[in-house]
Amino acid sequence: MPTADRTRSVAWHVVLIGVILMMTFPVLWGILTSFKPANDIYSLTPFSAQPTLDHYVHALTAWPVGLLLGNTFVMAAGVVIGQVLIAILGAFALAYFAPRYRNLVLTLLTISLAIPPQALIIPQFLMTAKLGWLNTDVGLIVPQLGSSALAVLLLLQHVDGLPGSLLNAARLDGARPLEVLWSIVLPALRPAIAAVSILVFITTWNEYLWPLLVAPRQIDTTVQIGLRQFETAEGTNFGGLLAAATLTSLPILIVYLVASRRITDAFLQSGLK
Amino acid sequence: MTVVLTAAPAAVADSSRGRGPRAGRAWPYLTPLLVLLFAWVYGPALFTGVLSFLEWNLTGAPGGFVGLENYARLLREPEFGQAAGQTMLYAAALLPFSTIVPMFLAIMLWQRPGRTSTVYRSLLFLPVMVAPVAVAVSWRFLLNPLQGLANEVIGVIGLPPMNWLGNPASALIVIVLVTAAKVTAFNMLLYSAALSTLDRRTLQAARLESASAWETTRFIVIPQLHKTTLLLGVLSIVLAGQWVFTNVSVLTQGGPDGVTDNVYYRIYTLGFEFFETGMASAAAAIVLLFFALASLGWVLLTRSNRRRSSANR
Repeated sequence: MPTADRTRSVAWHVVLIGVILMMTFPVLWGILTSFKPANDIYSLTPFSAQPTLDHYVHALTAWPVGLLLGNTFVMAAGVVIGQVLIAILGAFALAYFAPRYRNLVLTLLTISLAIPPQALIIPQFLMTAKLGWLNTDVGLIVPQLGSSALAVLLLLQHVDGLPGSLLNAARLDGARPLEVLWSIVLPALRPAIAAVSILVFITTWNEYLWPLLVAPRQIDTTVQIGLRQFETAEGTNFGGLLAAATLTSLPILIVYLVASRRITDAFLQSGLK
Repeated sequence: MTVVLTAAPAAVADSSRGRGPRAGRAWPYLTPLLVLLFAWVYGPALFTGVLSFLEWNLTGAPGGFVGLENYARLLREPEFGQAAGQTMLYAAALLPFSTIVPMFLAIMLWQRPGRTSTVYRSLLFLPVMVAPVAVAVSWRFLLNPLQGLANEVIGVIGLPPMNWLGNPASALIVIVLVTAAKVTAFNMLLYSAALSTLDRRTLQAARLESASAWETTRFIVIPQLHKTTLLLGVLSIVLAGQWVFTNVSVLTQGGPDGVTDNVYYRIYTLGFEFFETGMASAAAAIVLLFFALASLGWVLLTRSNRRRSSANR
């Protein structure tokens, strides 16, 4: 029954495209609007007859969007480097030495994933303030390194997956642990490390609560928080706001376009098997 | 949304590698991990408990021990009770978007493997990628009470313009839907992962027995996803209140009349807008206690399940 098949096929495309449009419509509309001239911003046609970059010029010159993007990048890069280093060392130790307390450490890490971050913000804020880290990059980065559990557990799966004979052979050859880590484990782990780095980068880039608490000032904060302030300061300038919002997502979207397969894989590995 | 996940990869069986006398040498490698974990997670968790017994305004110096006074004040104010109720409402409202909806999307994509499906899957996953504030700003623009697209659209069918974020019912629906897009996108991918391990040959066999497409889906595919559905359902119920946090903060700040509030946002409001350190800590301690009990329950449940399934074998 080719007709029935064709109907079903059409329905399949229609449903999926419909869902995609519903889920991405607000952002898509926002991006399209950011190219419309100011007097035309509420028009119902998706594409303007006279597209303009005025709003982008405004976002980059009148607002410190570049600075905010820089701050966000420093925070995300710092957290990625910190968490990945910590996780490599930790996962290697748990797999290679298999200490008696291995299961205890794993339980502590797993439980830490379940603790709601909002329930810890008061003491975390007080500690950051006491250390003099408010409104600094250190204050944005270091407290987020406490949440390395996911990175450790993901890398551990991969280290555990390495053939035991490989590590044992090196051990019998008298290689020191650091040599085993450097010349055997690290090269084998490279794809996993890339996946974990992408995952941590995206979640940190989009992090909202922590920068809101410890770096609320407009010159020290991240794009996520900075945008909110433009909104209250210039509530009616939607053109500039939408241009700034587009710039906020742009780095992530570019990375996603280039490597969407690898990114979905990274997110998949973070989930259940 | 934090990428908080799932079933312990922790349960890796005891490694066959020697747990030899070298175990002591693991410490240097584990120290950074454990120090940061205790300094910024477990330490603060205990510290929250301590703070909940002190009288303290964030702007001043720590006050004295007041026993359970913070808890009493917290439970007396109607806002906390309402926030707790709304947290449960969010859990119920987001449940279909974390189970049924992404499950059907994933099954649809899986039924027709190929390039188109891969492209659709990448596009469906976009809401996870886009910065939450960018999404919120776009929504604010669409829902703008003066000239926003939403009001233009309902104007076409003759309805008067609405203040979408100022009206309790529509504000709650907006928060749920904005969050739902992201949850659906993420869980669609997790269902896809579960489906990719499914053996297509069983289905072909069923087809030969002249089972319809719906019958194979209903009686063969969906049952094999039960474990995933159970896990995602539980996670959704427990984490829904945390998932809406950013959207509540950007779009409604808990209003109007506290209808979009929840316990997590209440902790933030008490601590950082009213500077009520003691009360905020009491609220946080209640949440932590709830999570401790819930994870204990989950551990016991999965353990007894495992025992039962190994007994059956």
